[in-house]
Amino acid sequence: MGFGWLISGAIPGTVVAAVAVAAGAAIVALHFVRLRRREVPVPFAALWLGLAGTAASLRRSRRLRHWLALALALGIFAGLLIGAVDPHGARVDPTGRSWVILIDRSTSMSATDEPGSRLEAARRRARALVASLAPADRALVASFAGEALAESAFEADSGTLDGAIGRVMATDEAADLPRALAFAAAVLHGRPRPTVALISDGGFSPDALRQAPPGIELRHLPVGRRGENVGILALGARRVPADPGVLDAGLTVQSFRTAPAQVPVEISSGGAVVERLTLALAPGERRSVALPDLFAPGARIEARLAAPDDLAADDRAAAQVPPLPRRRVLRVGDADLYLDGALLSLGPAVTVDRLPGSAADRGLQVAAEYDLVIFDGVTPSRLPAAGRLLYFDPRGPASPLAARGRLRDPVLDPAGLRRDHALLRHVDLGDVNIAEAGRLTPAAGDTVLAGSFGAPLIVARERPGLRVAVLAFDPRRSDLPLRPAFPLLIANALTWAARDGRPAPGPAGEAVRDPRESDTAPVATLQVGGHTVPHLEPGPPRRRFGIAVWAAGLAVLLLLLEWVSYHRRWTA
Amino acid sequence: MTAVALPDAGARRFDERFLRKLETLELAIRRASGAQARGIRRSRRVGAGLELADHRDYVPGDDLRYLDWNLYGRLDRRALRLFEEDEDVAVDVLVDASRSMGTGAPSKLDLALQVGAALAYVALAHLDRVAVPPLADEPASLPPQRGKNRILSILRFLDQTRAEGAQPVSAAVRAFLGRRSSRRRGVAVLISDFYDPAGARAALDLLRGHRLSPIAIQLTAPDELAPAWRGDVRVRDVETGEAHDLTLSPAAVEAYVRRLSALRRELEAHCRERGFPCFTLVSDQPVESVVLRMFRTGGLLG
Repeated sequence: MGFGWLISGAIPGTVVAAVAVAAGAAIVALHFVRLRRREVPVPFAALWLGLAGTAASLRRSRRLRHWLALALALGIFAGLLIGAVDPHGARVDPTGRSWVILIDRSTSMSATDEPGSRLEAARRRARALVASLAPADRALVASFAGEALAESAFEADSGTLDGAIGRVMATDEAADLPRALAFAAAVLHGRPRPTVALISDGGFSPDALRQAPPGIELRHLPVGRRGENVGILALGARRVPADPGVLDAGLTVQSFRTAPAQVPVEISSGGAVVERLTLALAPGERRSVALPDLFAPGARIEARLAAPDDLAADDRAAAQVPPLPRRRVLRVGDADLYLDGALLSLGPAVTVDRLPGSAADRGLQVAAEYDLVIFDGVTPSRLPAAGRLLYFDPRGPASPLAARGRLRDPVLDPAGLRRDHALLRHVDLGDVNIAEAGRLTPAAGDTVLAGSFGAPLIVARERPGLRVAVLAFDPRRSDLPLRPAFPLLIANALTWAARDGRPAPGPAGEAVRDPRESDTAPVATLQVGGHTVPHLEPGPPRRRFGIAVWAAGLAVLLLLLEWVSYHRRWTA
Repeated sequence: MTAVALPDAGARRFDERFLRKLETLELAIRRASGAQARGIRRSRRVGAGLELADHRDYVPGDDLRYLDWNLYGRLDRRALRLFEEDEDVAVDVLVDASRSMGTGAPSKLDLALQVGAALAYVALAHLDRVAVPPLADEPASLPPQRGKNRILSILRFLDQTRAEGAQPVSAAVRAFLGRRSSRRRGVAVLISDFYDPAGARAALDLLRGHRLSPIAIQLTAPDELAPAWRGDVRVRDVETGEAHDLTLSPAAVEAYVRRLSALRRELEAHCRERGFPCFTLVSDQPVESVVLRMFRTGGLLG
C-alpha cells in the first residue's frame, strides 16, 4: 500500500509533513466555520422550544459534539494519511531480509510446458514467495529479458507486490542475466541481508553464468518441465534482379527435441502460402535451407512451423525483403535499339548512361563508377585492368581475349553450355543463330560458358577487381536480340558483374533468433560464478497486516461510526 | 341551486366545481338532519312560532290567545302555551387569517375558507343572516348577507382573504367584537389553528361573553402533525419572526408531537366543558367530507 508506486519510491517526509499540516489546518478551519442551519418556517415556534433539555445542557452537549466531530475528522484524516503513505512499508527494517524477486520474461518463458505458461508459473512462484515473507522483510519485484525493469519499490505489502508481479509480461527478447544481476546488486546496495530470488528456466549462455554479483545471496526458483521445441532461428530473403517479383530466401531451423522430428514449414507472402516443405530433423540438428525463386510480390515473407510445440514464439519468423539496389550501367557504342530495350527492361532501379563508340577509351576510364560497362561492338584501345565489363564482339589487339580470325555461322554446342553459371541463369541459347563470331582464345582461368565445337562464344573472366564477360559475336549479327534470352543475359551480366549472384541466405539473414531462447530444456541447477545456486522453496504463507492496513481500517471504522451516529441521531 | 357562473375573482379557491359541491352538500345535510332542521341554530326565544316549547302560569295581562284551554278544562289550571319562535339567526363565520394559517401543504387557510364558505352556504340556505368577517390585522368588511343567492358575494369576499395577519387569534377576536355593532345573539364559527401564546381558550370565552354561541374548528397541517425535519435547523415563527436554533432528534420531535396533541386536547376539553362544539381538522382533508361529518356528528344542528 502507499503512493510510492506513483513516484517510484517512498514519499519524502517533508512532503508528507506538509500535506499533513495543510490538510489538518484546513480541517480545523472548516470545522470552525459556523454551521449554516436549514431554516424551517413554523406556525407556532413555542411548540418547539425547550424540547431537548435546558439551554445550558444543550450548549454543553453541542460544544462537546463539536470537539468530538473535530477529533473524529482529524482521526479519519490521520488514518487515511498513514494508510496511504505507509511509513512502515518503505522503512528499512535491519532485522529483515531485502529481496529482489527477479522474474525472467525472455522468449523461452512463453513456453507452455507449465500450466498456463512458464511465465505464469513464475508468477505463481513469486506470489508464493511474497506470501511467505517475514514481517520485517522488504521485497522489490523486477523482471528481465534484454534489460531489467523494476516493477515495484521495496515493499512489505503483499497486495502491492502481487500487483507488480501481475504486471510482468513476456517479451520476444533473449535474457541478459549479467545485466539483471547487476541491476539487482545496484538496488540492493546498502540494504540488510540482500537476496536475489531468480525465477527462471535457466536458459543462459556459459558467458552469462560466469560471474556472480558479490555480497548477494542468490537463490533459484526453477520453472519449466521439458524441452520439446523446434524453432526458426533465421529467415532471410532478397529479390532477384532479373525478376523483382521473385525472391531468393534462406531459412534456418533447429530442433531441440530429444527425438527425430518431421517439421512442416510454410512460407507465405501477402497472406498466401508460396512454399511448403517438410524438414526431417535429427535431435539437436540445425539446418539451413535455401529457397530459390519464390514468387513473393509482397515486401515481407513469413515462415511458420506448422507443427505445434511448447514454444509458439519461435514457430514464426518474418523478414522484410529489401528493395533492389540501384545500379548504374554505361553503354558504349553506337545506336542499338535491341540493347537499349534490354536495358530498359531492368526497370527504374537501373540507370543507363551512354557514350558513342568513338569514346570507348573514355568508357574504360570511368568504368569504376559503374556496376557494368557494355562495349557494344567497340573495343577500347587498351586492355582493361579493373572494372566490370561486358564486351560484344571485341576485336583488335586490346581485346580481352585474343582473336584469331573470324568464324562464319557458328553453331552453339548445347553440351558445352554452362547453365549453372550466373550469367546463363534461365537463359536458353539452344537454337540461337549467329551469322559471324570472332575466334577467341581464352586465357588461363577464364570460363567458357558457351562455344561452337571448340570455339568459345561466351567467356567469363574473374580476376581480383576485374570481371569481364565476352560475347564473341555481335548480337545484332544473330537472332539473339529477338529472343527472351537476350534481356535475361543482360540482367544476369549485371547481377554477376555486381557480385550480386545467388544469395547465400542463412543465419546471416534477417529475423535471427537466439538459439538459447528456443532451447527450452529447463536447467534444474544453475551454476553462476562457479558455484551452484541453491534452490529456494517458499515457506507457508503468512498473514501480515501492516500499519497501513490498520490505519486504513481505523479510518473506515471511524467513518462508519460517524455515519451511523449521524443517521441514527445518537449525537442529537 | 342551479349552476352559477363565478366571476374571475372567485375562480381560485371557489370554482364551479366547488359550488356544485356546496349544493350537493346542502342536500346531504338536509337529508341527514331531516325536515326539522331550520338552520345552523334554532332560536331559543319563546314567541309566536308554531312549535310548542313549554307552559307557564298565566299572569294577568298575558295574551289570552295563548292560554291553553284544554289544560284549563282538564286540570282547571290556567297556563299559557309558549312557542319557540323561528327567527333568522346571525351566523358569523370567523376565519383566522393570521400568517400561521398560511403554513402547511395544502395551507390551512384554504380549507378554513372552504369550510367557512360551506357553512355560510348552509346558513344562507336556511335564511340565516351570515357574516364572514376575517380575523386579520386590517380586515375588509362585508355586510351580513341573507338568502342563498348571496353566496357569490361571500365567496368573492372570502377569496380575497390572505394569511397576512400577525396578531394572535384572541386579539383578533377581541378586535372583531369591538367592531361588532349588533348585540344580537348568534352563532360564531371560529376557524383557526388556535396557536395563541395567550391561550386560544380566551377567544372562545370572549365570544361567549358577547352572547354568541361559539363553534370551534381547529385546523392542523399534516406536516405539523408529523414533521420530517431532523438535525440542526433554525426554526422561524412565521407570525413573530422569532428564530431559534434547534437540534431535532427523534426524541425531540416526539416531544413536539406530544405537545401539539396536548394543545389540541386541551382545546377540546375546554369546549366540552363549556358545551361548545369543537371540531379538529387536518388541512389535507376534502371539504365536503369534513363539513358533512361536522353536521352528522352533531353540534351544528339545534
